[in-house]
Amino acid sequence: MIQYYTRFYTVAVILLLLQVLVLDHVNLFGFSDPAIYLVILITYRLSLDQFGFIFIGFALGFILDLLTQTAGAHSIACLSIAFMRPVISRFALGANFDQPNAMFTGTLWTNRMLYLFLMIIIHQFIFALVAYFSLAHFSIIFKQTLTNTLFTFILISATINLLQPKK
Amino acid sequence: MQWVLNAIIRYKNFLLFLFLFSVGLIFSGSQSAYHNSQLAKSSLIISGIIHQPANNLKSYMNLMNENALLVKENNTLKNLVLEKFNKAEILALEEENLAGPSYWSLPSKIIRNSFTQARNIILIDKGEKNGVVKEMGVIGPKGIIGIVNQTSSGYASVLSILNQDIKINAKFKGSDVFGSLYWTGESPNKMQLADISVINSVKTGDTLVTGGMSFYFPEGIIIGTVYEVERPNNGGYYFITVELINNMTDLNYVYVIGNKNKTEINELLERTP
Repeated sequence: MIQYYTRFYTVAVILLLLQVLVLDHVNLFGFSDPAIYLVILITYRLSLDQFGFIFIGFALGFILDLLTQTAGAHSIACLSIAFMRPVISRFALGANFDQPNAMFTGTLWTNRMLYLFLMIIIHQFIFALVAYFSLAHFSIIFKQTLTNTLFTFILISATINLLQPKK
Repeated sequence: MQWVLNAIIRYKNFLLFLFLFSVGLIFSGSQSAYHNSQLAKSSLIISGIIHQPANNLKSYMNLMNENALLVKENNTLKNLVLEKFNKAEILALEEENLAGPSYWSLPSKIIRNSFTQARNIILIDKGEKNGVVKEMGVIGPKGIIGIVNQTSSGYASVLSILNQDIKINAKFKGSDVFGSLYWTGESPNKMQLADISVINSVKTGDTLVTGGMSFYFPEGIIIGTVYEVERPNNGGYYFITVELINNMTDLNYVYVIGNKNKTEINELLERTP
C-alpha cells in the first residue's frame, strides 16, 4: 500500500507540473487547454476510502487554483467530480464498478472509455461554469467544455496506456 | 445524541463535500471583490516562484526575435524624441510654463500570460520594491495591456484588458467621443465598445485611443481600430466591435505606467464632499 501511495503522489506531482508549466501554454486553436491532471483523479483506486479521496480532489484543485490564479474554479470542479465519482463509476462500469483498479484491469474497454468520458466532460463543464459564472456566456461555456473535453480525452487515454502496470 | 453522531458518520462524505464546496465558493467569490486578500497575495508569490525558471528558459530561446522587436521599438521611440526636440525648439517659449510630464514608465517582463479564461491575469516580474503599486496602468509596445491588481515585493499581477470585470475609458482619435471598452470573452483580439451614441458618425477602421477620464493611462495611447459597427433599429447606442492593436497572446515585455499626480488627484477626490 505504501508503494502504491508513493507512486500515486509522484505521478500526481509530475502531472501537476506538466499541466502548469506546459499544457496551460498549449492553447490549441487559441482557446483550448487540455487538462492532464485529471488522470490523478481518474486512476485513483476505486476501492480506497471515499472520504480521503474528496480531500485529495479538493487539494488538487486548490493547488491548481493557486498556481494558475483561477481563484476557485479548479477547486470546485475537482471537488465535485471527486464527490460524484462513485455514482459515475457505478453508472459507467456496470457490474464491475467495485474492481479496485478499474481503469486498468477487470473491466470492459467500452465501459472504461465511458467512465473516462463522463469524468472529463462533467469536470470541464463545472470548471467552465464556475470560471465564467454567468449564464449569459452559455455558448462560450458550451464550446469550451466540448473542445477541452475532446482534447483532454485523447491526451488522457494515451497517458493511461503509458501508466498501465506491466503484466 | 446518538442519532446525531450516527447521521454525521453516515453522511460524512456529503458533509465534507459541502464544507469544501463552500470553501471553494468563498475563495471564488473573493476573486472579484477582495483583491487585497492575503490568499491572493501568497498565491501570487508561489506562482511567481514556480513560473520564473520556466519563463527564463523560454525567454532565452526567444532572444533573437526579442532583439529585433526591441530595435524596432527603439527606433520608433527615437523618432518620437526627435519629433519632440524639433517641436521644443519652436515652442521653447510656450513650454517653459508647463510642468514636467506627469507619467513615468517602468519596463518589465511578463512571466505568465493567460488569455483563455473569463478573467485573464498577467504576472510581471516587477513589484513593490520597484515602485509598482495597485491600480497602475500597464501598456505594451503598441497599446494598452491592463491594470495592476495585486503586488508582492518582487512580482505583480495585472488584470488583463481581456477580463470581464474591467471597463476601459476610450475615445476616438481626433474627436472627443467617449465610450467604455469591455471584453465579452469571445476572442482574445476583439472587444466591445459601449456608450457611443448614434448621433456620432462611426465607421470601420476608425482608431480608438485611451481617454483621459481615468487616471490609469495617459490620454491618447492607441487601443485598436473599429472592426464592425452595428446600428440598432431602436435604441440610441451603437454596437461596436473593436480589434485590438496588441496581440494579447504574444506578449513578452510591457511597461508599467505610474501617474506622478495620482496621490494628489486621489486626495482631491476624497476631499470633495
